[in-house]
Amino acid sequence: MAVAAPIGMKVRTRRKAQGLTQKSLAQKVGISASYLNLIESDRRAVGGSLLQRIAEQLGMELADLSGDQERRLVERLGELAADPSILQHHIDPGTANALVSRHPDWAAAMLSLSRSVRDADQQITALTDRLDQDPALMEAVHQVLNNAAAVRSTMEILSSVEDLPTEQRARFVEIVLSQSGELSGTAERLVALFSAGNTRNRSLSPAEEVDDFLIQNQSYFPPLEEAARDLRREIRSFGQTIEGALTAFLQQQFDISVYNRSPVEADLSRFRNHCHHDEANRVLIFLDNAPPSTRQFQLARLACQLTAPDLLDTVARDELLTSDEARTRARGALASWLAAAALFPYETFLEDAVRHRYDVELLRQRFSASVEQICQRLVSLRKPGAEGIPFGFLRADPSGHISKRFPIAGLPVPRSGNGCPLWPLYGAFQTPDRVIRQLAEFPNGSRYLFIGRTVRHEPALFHEAPFLHAVMLACDVVHADQTVYADGLDFAARHMATPVGPNCRLCSRSDCLHRGEDSILYSR
Amino acid sequence: MTKSGADGSVKRILIAEDEPNIVELLTFILERAGCLTRAVTDGEAAIAEIRREAPDVLLLDLMLPKHDGYAVLKSVRASADNAGLPVVMLTAKGQERDRKVAESLGVNAFITKPFSNQDVVDQVLALAGTGAAAR
Repeated sequence: MAVAAPIGMKVRTRRKAQGLTQKSLAQKVGISASYLNLIESDRRAVGGSLLQRIAEQLGMELADLSGDQERRLVERLGELAADPSILQHHIDPGTANALVSRHPDWAAAMLSLSRSVRDADQQITALTDRLDQDPALMEAVHQVLNNAAAVRSTMEILSSVEDLPTEQRARFVEIVLSQSGELSGTAERLVALFSAGNTRNRSLSPAEEVDDFLIQNQSYFPPLEEAARDLRREIRSFGQTIEGALTAFLQQQFDISVYNRSPVEADLSRFRNHCHHDEANRVLIFLDNAPPSTRQFQLARLACQLTAPDLLDTVARDELLTSDEARTRARGALASWLAAAALFPYETFLEDAVRHRYDVELLRQRFSASVEQICQRLVSLRKPGAEGIPFGFLRADPSGHISKRFPIAGLPVPRSGNGCPLWPLYGAFQTPDRVIRQLAEFPNGSRYLFIGRTVRHEPALFHEAPFLHAVMLACDVVHADQTVYADGLDFAARHMATPVGPNCRLCSRSDCLHRGEDSILYSR
Repeated sequence: MTKSGADGSVKRILIAEDEPNIVELLTFILERAGCLTRAVTDGEAAIAEIRREAPDVLLLDLMLPKHDGYAVLKSVRASADNAGLPVVMLTAKGQERDRKVAESLGVNAFITKPFSNQDVVDQVLALAGTGAAAR
């Protein structure tokens, strides 16, 4: 049944203003009083000639009663109800109709406020990212430091060298004067650049806090690495193959059985990553279409959660994680991290990665892992003194939304929303399953090697479509020649680089043909 | 202009920096410390000059035209004759990323602008005495 547009209150108010009863209006338009009552309480959708008769009888324009405006308000309120920042109020989107019907002004005001909040949030995000990405600002800061260096060095000479010849002293004074003059000019330019407003700390969502926590730790957690080593040793004593050993370990140590279930019979709302841990019944259930790499990983993840809950708690007790939800999410992320460390032992993995020049395909087969698992383990090779190449990692879905981000220092990746359409993270969707590499140059001159490809989730049944998402590794161009992905590329030729940006809103390339929306960098 | 390295010999320093005032100041303080200096203003010239006559220490700015400081450092470390040349990286960008990248490429010391003259002299002389630096 079509949802009734919330026009009932309008009809009722107008009817009463004209001194009409429900019965008399109903008669005039040729319906029963009880049917009019349903219309006035928004329990019946109304349109066509009946709506026209009601409008005529009440002396209203048809457009006033079409409900289009109200319907739009209801839709936008529905979107607002799903906003993560107000999820804790558990608003039922179904009540939007009643709000729009009874208090349209309040509904419009709420939407207007939410728009302002969203705009402010985007502006703050942009300003927070700005220092790294605005070439004008970077240039100004660079100039200030150069001027300051010259002034400081000259002043040190003037104050400490007593036997300076007059001519040389005059020259140094001239340097101080010219550099101070330049410094004032650059400072004024900086003030102008910042005059649009100041950055301030924005409130972060729990997911963003976990991102920050992982980035702050460079995705490397020494206590977990150590625990992973012990755990791996213990698990290996339970069987010959990793999957067999993990299954036996969970059964014998925690009385947990592992089952498979057909996706047709399973309650899919309980499944994540093809599996569901039913704590009450002590079972771990996999969907039939769970790939071997997922099985191995999820078995290890559960083993880690059950073996090291205190350790995960301790590591997740961090000042960057300010809410229970953020800490719970972080514990989940750390359990995955621990599982990866147990399955892909640091030294062996690093040795293989270096020997095979970070060939993800080769490592994936060697460790019976998924592409994404290998990429994330590569990111975590940050042990001081035994580091791999610093890699960043991103994952996106076909809508462009970035669902995982582990940036490396300096790589201008926006905190939220989509990235640059020219990244192979998006280009990969055009040639599924093929690895795409790109020498990318950002507006600030920094250059990175990007390696993107899609990852396919096979459908479980005929009626389900396969699902693709894309992953991308990024490394500074200075490290690129240590990887197979640099073979045959000429990094010295700057014109070979693809000019990219962080995303359109934060990109200063005014001549880019691929721009999807205006940049905010120079618009204010 | 009597002393230079700990062994008493005069040390030759190559300054690769594109800001003329900074070149003038670095030249002054290093020559006062007894060093012999020569200067180039871009990365390509730095590589050519090292090939022509290797200095005892290279004082290398990061943000150079043509080849940047990373490219120069990489070329030095990959060269057959000068792989062990001590390099002090000088930069207006004091970010952790720059330091890490420079370290991974085998820089010997890292000085950020604005620098103290004494710091520059100390670092340069300390490395000048080491000859072929360990990578």
